[in-house]
Amino acid sequence: MKKWILGGLISLLALCVGVGTLWAGEIKIGFFAPLTGFAAADGASAKNAVTLALEKINVSGGINGNKVKLVIYDDRVNPQESVAIANKLVERDKVVAVVSGSYSTPTRVTAPIFNKAGIPMVAAYAVDPSITRAGPYIFRTGFLGEVEGKAAGEVAVNLLKAKTIAMFTIDNDFGRALSKGFHERIKKFGGKVVYEHAFAIGTKDFSAMLTKVKALDPDLLFISGYYEEAALAVKQARELGLTCRIEGEEGFDSPKFLELAGDAANGVVITTNLNRDDPRPFVQNFIKAYKKKYGMEPDMVGASSYDAFMVVVNAIRKAGPNPKAIRKAIAETKDFDGLTGRITHFNKLGEAMKPVQVQIVKGGEFHYFGVISDPEIITPPNK
Amino acid sequence: MSAYIVTVSITIGIYVILAISLNIITGYAGQISLGHAAFFGIGAYASGMLATRVGAPFFVCLPFAVVVTGIVGAILGIPCLRVREDFLAITTMGINFVVQAVFLYVPFFGGALGISNIPVPSIHGSDMTKPEYLIMVLLFILLSILVDGWLTRSWTGLALSAIREDETAAEMSGVNLTRFKVIAFVLGSAMAGLAGSLYAHFMSFISATDFGFAESIVILSMVVFGGIGTLRGPIIGAIVLGVAPELFRPILNYRTLLYGVMLVVLMRFQPQGLLGIDSFVTRTLKRLWKKETRGYEPAA
Amino acid sequence: MLGQQLINGFTIGSIYALIALGLTMVYGVLKILHIAHAGVYAMGAYIGLWVYRLVPNLFLAMLAAMFLSGVAGILIERFLYKSMLDKSRIVPLIASIGLFIAMEETFRIIAGPYVKAFSVHFRQKPWILGSARISAPQMLVFGVTIVLLVLLWWVITRTRMGKALRAVSMDREMADALGVATEKIILLSFFISSALAGAAGVLVGVFYNSVYPTMGDIPAYKALAIIVLGGMGSIPGTILGAFLIGISETFLIGYVNVPLPRDALAFIVMIAVLMFRPYGLLGKE
Repeated sequence: MKKWILGGLISLLALCVGVGTLWAGEIKIGFFAPLTGFAAADGASAKNAVTLALEKINVSGGINGNKVKLVIYDDRVNPQESVAIANKLVERDKVVAVVSGSYSTPTRVTAPIFNKAGIPMVAAYAVDPSITRAGPYIFRTGFLGEVEGKAAGEVAVNLLKAKTIAMFTIDNDFGRALSKGFHERIKKFGGKVVYEHAFAIGTKDFSAMLTKVKALDPDLLFISGYYEEAALAVKQARELGLTCRIEGEEGFDSPKFLELAGDAANGVVITTNLNRDDPRPFVQNFIKAYKKKYGMEPDMVGASSYDAFMVVVNAIRKAGPNPKAIRKAIAETKDFDGLTGRITHFNKLGEAMKPVQVQIVKGGEFHYFGVISDPEIITPPNK
Repeated sequence: MSAYIVTVSITIGIYVILAISLNIITGYAGQISLGHAAFFGIGAYASGMLATRVGAPFFVCLPFAVVVTGIVGAILGIPCLRVREDFLAITTMGINFVVQAVFLYVPFFGGALGISNIPVPSIHGSDMTKPEYLIMVLLFILLSILVDGWLTRSWTGLALSAIREDETAAEMSGVNLTRFKVIAFVLGSAMAGLAGSLYAHFMSFISATDFGFAESIVILSMVVFGGIGTLRGPIIGAIVLGVAPELFRPILNYRTLLYGVMLVVLMRFQPQGLLGIDSFVTRTLKRLWKKETRGYEPAA
Repeated sequence: MLGQQLINGFTIGSIYALIALGLTMVYGVLKILHIAHAGVYAMGAYIGLWVYRLVPNLFLAMLAAMFLSGVAGILIERFLYKSMLDKSRIVPLIASIGLFIAMEETFRIIAGPYVKAFSVHFRQKPWILGSARISAPQMLVFGVTIVLLVLLWWVITRTRMGKALRAVSMDREMADALGVATEKIILLSFFISSALAGAAGVLVGVFYNSVYPTMGDIPAYKALAIIVLGGMGSIPGTILGAFLIGISETFLIGYVNVPLPRDALAFIVMIAVLMFRPYGLLGKE
């Protein structure tokens, strides 16, 4: 009889402890990205990098002993679905923070919802300036289009010494913002845009535009776009016999760009946030681990999503799994060592301040070419 | 009710209005349109721009959007009168691309960033809550159903179905093709404009990419999936195809695949649509209904 | 520059022609807007790439892609469209769209979301004609297009099969009544048109060095614009339409800085032509 009672007590205790750890032991973080549809490749990169980070954290005991659970949703870059996802994350899944591994459209429609619910969100690579303006709970670790555009302009006129420049601009928010910053910067140093043409996402043929550029013979061709288009533009440029220097931006930053453009990629200079020659060991370890797990090199989208996720994790580590405290901790982030460089701080608006990396393609790989840390260029707007 | 369910319901409600409106053009008048999202977009932009640029209240923006979209529908309906059947379908698709490109490229329409910060409608000086918004959407669905009911019972409705069955025969028997086709286009477009306005003030951000060809296909699929040419069909189609992707959400990798497969399977085995005339479900429901009523008969 | 732009335009036109021809043939016999044709095209590219990685012979890869795409076309007709011929034309349209979505998703699930390189090393040096040059991949595109077009022309005008095919596409019921084996002819036209799409897929894959799940998205609607422009079901009209669109896109982008995207330009050209010729360039009422 006594044994029974004792046994019962012990199992009751075990149950309490069990439930207790279950309660205390799981921190839920929300994540959304385009996993199906036209942007599925970027969604996969974002998801892969974040999953890798998650495994590493959970293997080493989670955050302060609590396991982390990632709630992953597919947004298909569709605004209606994104709004539904945001409500679901807040209400059903009760996440304490959210990472956007998605494009501008899903991120900007969900930002006000998270802000209102008091759940902090960190956007990894969405560029729309209105995202962080949704309120104090919204942050961004990636560059604003204009900041990167300015940095690209700086590279064009001061690093590559170009006087006459032709531009191919991708016709979405990213391309437009980039173009604006680029124009602003090169004008200051007397650079001249001799040709600018916008093209749609998914464009495959640049021959008409390139033939025109060849006739104009500029010092530099600056292309904004994602690696699919970028690789084709660069390849076709060389096939047409265009010899000028080509500059790109973070959309080029993918092993797929190197693969698709082949030899034509050599000599292309890009502005991005991931420095492949970064001496910091954890960067090299990440690159190695990613390669081992997924059989390919990580890209800019993956590295940015990883950083956005780690900013959240770091904040939880400091402040515990309380959304309000997490927000405060993120806002107070100082000198966060990210894959994509050191984030000195987040400004009032929630924009990260970090240097812009300049990489060059040599022998089919990205390598260090320079870094832009002039505050005049990299300081994001404050309001 | 949870905000998640309310949000999904509002989205589906907007699709119900869109499906009803497309059904007027494609289901009743038989003019296949592959560009309905263009009118949805015109309504959204008209309403969103009036609200953000002029600061007009929602209850001014909404009728404005309806009128503007109706007028544009009439203008764009004119080239559509020149072409028939599949040529018309592809022309409407072309119109969709051109309208979208104009929104994207003309700076007046906000370019690639679209229109931001469209205000939530307010009643009695305070912002409408989500459940209140849902109630409003439901009221507009009711209005759309009433318009639809009036149409199908009127002479216009008869003329439209005559056009659908055989244009030449309809013309021979004195139906003014131009007039009735334009009526169908204007009515359908204006109703899509209404949906656009509701969408703009619900999402608060709109951009050209929201109103592309793919969106037109989504709306058309809803109409056909539920049962084209009936009122119940488009409504049920919008609900089923709106809820399905949410239900499939946990199976991340296969949800879009499943959506495609659903369309194929239904068209293969129930080409009338789920609740179309003489579909399996409709017949079964009718049979059950009859049995039940017959069951009560002996009492009398 | 003019010479170069013409070459650019003809390259794009050739690719458009190969994709759109199949679509117009299917429309000719069944009066169906076969959106899933673009799915067959992407499938052809994947099959070609897969074969090419096993045996690096482009000719073989192209043949395999054409054959298997053709078979896929037959299956689509048999199991999907055949039962829908007496239904409203919107039924096969929606089924076709559903199939296209399902195909794209299947490619993604099997082959992954990333773009795959289809790199073929050409030893051929580019031809230089004055200021213009024709690169080796462009020669490939021209060569294959010319061969396939001549072959198609021969089949349609010089063989009994071709005659029957033309009869079916003029009036299916009449041809049936006159003893033409319509069933067989329909299957044959699906085989040929899907094989053409498969060939186009491989060509595009090689020419742009990329194969990916959603590569059919743009051809899905662009090809529709082309066949409508040409006059639905008209083969010469489609070829004319393809080159007209290819060249006008190139010239509008190359010479006039129109602030509109390429797709919108193609549709503006199409709508403008339809206003004067509501049944397309070479279409009949």
